[in-house]
Amino acid sequence: MGLQNLKGRVAFIFEEDDFDVDQIVGVKNIKIQDLDELAGLAMKSYDPDFASQVRKGDVIVGGWNFGYGHPHYPPMKALRHLGVAGVIAESFSPGYWRGEISMGFPQCSCPGIRAAVNRWDEIEVDWQAGVVRNLTQGTEIAFEPMAQSDALMLEAGGLLPYLKMNPAG
Amino acid sequence: MGHTITEKILARAAGLPSVRAGDEIMAKPDFVLAYDFPGYTDVYFKQMKEEFGIDKVAEPERYGIFIDHMVPVATPKEEELHEGTRKWCAENGVELFERRGIGHQVAAEVGFATPGAFVVHFDGHISQLGTYGTLGIGMRRNVLEAFVREKVSIKVPETVRVNLTGTLRPGVMARDVFHHIVRVLGPASCRFQVMELGGDGLEGLTTEGIQSITCLAMFTGALTAIVNPDQKRLDYALPRARKKLEPVYSDPDANYAAVHEIDLSELEPIVVVPPTPANTRNLSDYAGLEVQTGYLGSCASGRLEDIEIAAKILEGRRVKTGFSLHVIPTSQEIMAEAARRGYISTLVEAGAFVSSPSCDYCFGRIATMTENQRAVSTGTLNVKGRMGSPDSEIYLCNAAAVAASAIEGRITDPRKYL
Repeated sequence: MGLQNLKGRVAFIFEEDDFDVDQIVGVKNIKIQDLDELAGLAMKSYDPDFASQVRKGDVIVGGWNFGYGHPHYPPMKALRHLGVAGVIAESFSPGYWRGEISMGFPQCSCPGIRAAVNRWDEIEVDWQAGVVRNLTQGTEIAFEPMAQSDALMLEAGGLLPYLKMNPAG
Repeated sequence: MGHTITEKILARAAGLPSVRAGDEIMAKPDFVLAYDFPGYTDVYFKQMKEEFGIDKVAEPERYGIFIDHMVPVATPKEEELHEGTRKWCAENGVELFERRGIGHQVAAEVGFATPGAFVVHFDGHISQLGTYGTLGIGMRRNVLEAFVREKVSIKVPETVRVNLTGTLRPGVMARDVFHHIVRVLGPASCRFQVMELGGDGLEGLTTEGIQSITCLAMFTGALTAIVNPDQKRLDYALPRARKKLEPVYSDPDANYAAVHEIDLSELEPIVVVPPTPANTRNLSDYAGLEVQTGYLGSCASGRLEDIEIAAKILEGRRVKTGFSLHVIPTSQEIMAEAARRGYISTLVEAGAFVSSPSCDYCFGRIATMTENQRAVSTGTLNVKGRMGSPDSEIYLCNAAAVAASAIEGRITDPRKYL
């Protein structure tokens, strides 16, 4: 597929399974729309220095059933605003998955990923080869292929451009 | 090898002779449903016109719009949203169901739960139409696809079969069955799959109870839940059906990703403790915990059997002073019947606050909790801040437990009042 590989550092690893992404900005901030304000709040309870350390292109790693609960859009908008380019998790909760793919935000379902990386390792998601490479450790691990329509939506940049490319269905 | 009910429904909707789990297809939803909500319907309506140049949906009879959130409105801005929805429906010739109750329930009452039909919505609780052998899938934002195209892209899901046997003991309700499923199978047990309920135990559950279970399927990771409709479900659904379709059923040799057995007679009342639907515990372990408010309602619960058992428990008793008990029947049809049967007067006399149907109690828009308050609730969800302050807590349980807890102001095992 024509999707550009993700290449960056593992900016954070969420160890817990069934992770509720709303925690990233905190539930009390979930209705904030302003991206700078959201980004300023993101990850504060996990790592107060996150915003100053994260770089454009970095990725987030998560556990099983990432995005469980009642996911809202602002947390990932905040992470994208800080430069985060995608999420690689052991597996995803379907509602979260759909929502973020429709935003054009790459997600990669990769069983075993938590054990395969340390924080700040440099990694690459090679969509063509179907592997996540740990460039720091010189290892690689296969990920689960995504549905073709999801891949096309990501390539297009999200739901709207995807539907516009083929409005007749 | 045979096919699951889901494969059969999607094959017909895709115009294909057969499909298998894993196939990526384009399927035409028989019905496209949505409730109006800021950031959702107002955005779809705008995008349809401005981004895709579509003035009107084709085949308006396939669409149904509900006004069930922000009912009644509290700000001019909310009323403006509803006005926009009314206008869009009128222009498009799409039927609007306003103030009839929570849309997922009303959808069944007005015939969108056509056995064998494929239905999409943005909200995943539409899964409850599965009670009638209807495949209802929540697509989140992607439901826009169904507003601007005839078909939607979907990967045919695998199916996990859950066979229920035995009968529930007194004080244990359908809500407990769902929470028990999460407990024993896990919150990711049906991820991207369909949870198909079966087994003799279904016969002992009411249609309403099955709707409680199918409504919550998303918290197992399921895309939806479905039942092979028996005569009882067909007797309800077929006379109302909006489309003439042949009901379909899973073949005996259909392929399941997993098959689980659950003995209903072993269950006891469950409480789901904050902050996630995965935290299922025995209610008896939490008995005595102080609670300040109770909510009996939602698209999952709040139907006749829920109101009936609450009335039975509260008859001749009083809601504890200082405790706020809110009872909100799921639909107008249910509320009228509950009134005819005398449940409403019993609840009001016991001190309950009874309101007309609305989604608003479930997500804290009204009856909002402040910090350090706790609710017992039959709502759908117990994540932080769902019913008010992020520092308030929601304990999900069955309707009987909400009623019993209202008497004592503490989480209370309902069996002592039955």
